[in-house]
Amino acid sequence: MTADANVHFHDELAALERRVLGMADRAHEMVGLAVTAATQGDLALADRVIAMDDEIDENYLGVHHQWTTLMARHQPLGSDLRRMAALLQLSATFERMGDQCVNIAKIARFNEGLPRVDRICGKIEEMGDLVRPMIRTALDAYIRQDVEEARLLPSMDEPVDRLNASMYQEVVTVAGDPRMLEWATKMLMVSRALERLGDQAVDLGEMTAYLVTGERVEFDESGIMLRDA
Amino acid sequence: MTNDMPTEAVLENPRVIAGGATQVAKTPAVIETKGMSVFYGDFLAVADVSLRFQRNEITALIGPSGCGKSTVLRSLNRMNDLIPTARTVGEVHYHGENIYADHIDPVRVRRTIGMVFQKPNPFPKSIFQNIAWGAKVNGFKGSKSDLEDLVEEALRSAALWDEVKDKLPASGYSLSGGQQQRLCIARAIATKPDVILMDEPCSALDPIATTRIEELMLQLKETYSIIIVTHNMQQAARVSDKTAFFNVEISQAGRTGRLVEFSPTDQLFTTPKEKETEDYITGRFG
Repeated sequence: MTADANVHFHDELAALERRVLGMADRAHEMVGLAVTAATQGDLALADRVIAMDDEIDENYLGVHHQWTTLMARHQPLGSDLRRMAALLQLSATFERMGDQCVNIAKIARFNEGLPRVDRICGKIEEMGDLVRPMIRTALDAYIRQDVEEARLLPSMDEPVDRLNASMYQEVVTVAGDPRMLEWATKMLMVSRALERLGDQAVDLGEMTAYLVTGERVEFDESGIMLRDA
Repeated sequence: MTNDMPTEAVLENPRVIAGGATQVAKTPAVIETKGMSVFYGDFLAVADVSLRFQRNEITALIGPSGCGKSTVLRSLNRMNDLIPTARTVGEVHYHGENIYADHIDPVRVRRTIGMVFQKPNPFPKSIFQNIAWGAKVNGFKGSKSDLEDLVEEALRSAALWDEVKDKLPASGYSLSGGQQQRLCIARAIATKPDVILMDEPCSALDPIATTRIEELMLQLKETYSIIIVTHNMQQAARVSDKTAFFNVEISQAGRTGRLVEFSPTDQLFTTPKEKETEDYITGRFG
């Protein structure tokens, strides 16, 4: 039986972690909603995503305040210090994920009244369907402190990158119709935002590796950890 | 204990040895303990400590009460000899020489490996005499002017000169706690030591005075090797290059301290190798 002389700090750390993971759940939900808003031109859904991002931003500021207070008051060490470092990075990543979702959702407004291309919508939806499990996997890996699970993320990101790279060709195929081209060009930004979301999910996995091993690492395409200098 | 024949010249002038002898190249540690254990009577206070303290580094010894860290510190300059029941076994080498060898004079060891204590303990004398008297007792033979230079140099090294230069005849007790501790550091410096041992030097000081001592330690390590015992993990994290974590092992024979982990400070406080260390620095106790 291990006694905890720092029980108050560890309670506060757990509360901070719950708040950060709450941001993650929000970001995960926003990806699906934003993709639907952009592909279906659903303006109400786009407004909802923007409102959800305000909530994430508010949580981000709250987390920063809680984090600073905890550091000043407790000056944690060891795995507590690594967890604090990881949580700060995680909250910043979720805040940026929220921003990417807003970028995607706003495309619904920019593309209002323009003709959609089903094939491009299908690819964007596919990217969304690939990115959301990545965020979930990153979260599960963090919660379970499972580096092996985190190392799956680069391979999950690979089809996202491939779809993003193929999107330029899709746009070229509709270049003959100026209104369709205008719509498709905006959807390139959606594709790019989803590609960034995939990268950010990989970053989350790298933070799990840091939390567990104490080393800052970069995953390569196959999930091998490259040691930072 | 080994039967090495130590040369007292090492204690007298270690830098001469360090400058020329190949022995030092093979043994770069300033102080090295090999399987050192300390007993008080039959009671084993600390067991089997092997540590290497490097030149121009600050090494922190941390751990819970009763883990033997202060006992280890006091064994490094034979201060434990002053406790009649204390007995040190194993080896403690200073620049490769066993300081517990029969013909080594412990007083000379303590001059070379000075100590600053938890509570500032100036002599009941003037600020000037606190430095000068200690130097004279330790064999200073220079002129009055040389002595004045020595006092000024020691007080400057201890970052105290500017605060006391106009009141050198005043009592050492007239100084604040932080100033008294720096006076004690100046007194230790005046005997031209090679290593300075510090036993919780800031535990009686306020945060500002603590900061000044810590800044002073970082300056002094350019010249000296420093080994500090501290209860304050943040202090160890702030000032030390390496940290040794000791823990207590409780058995029927009593509470025995032992070395758990000795690592670069950055590593020990972020990614300790041992679970015991992790539990201690995060406040979890098994």
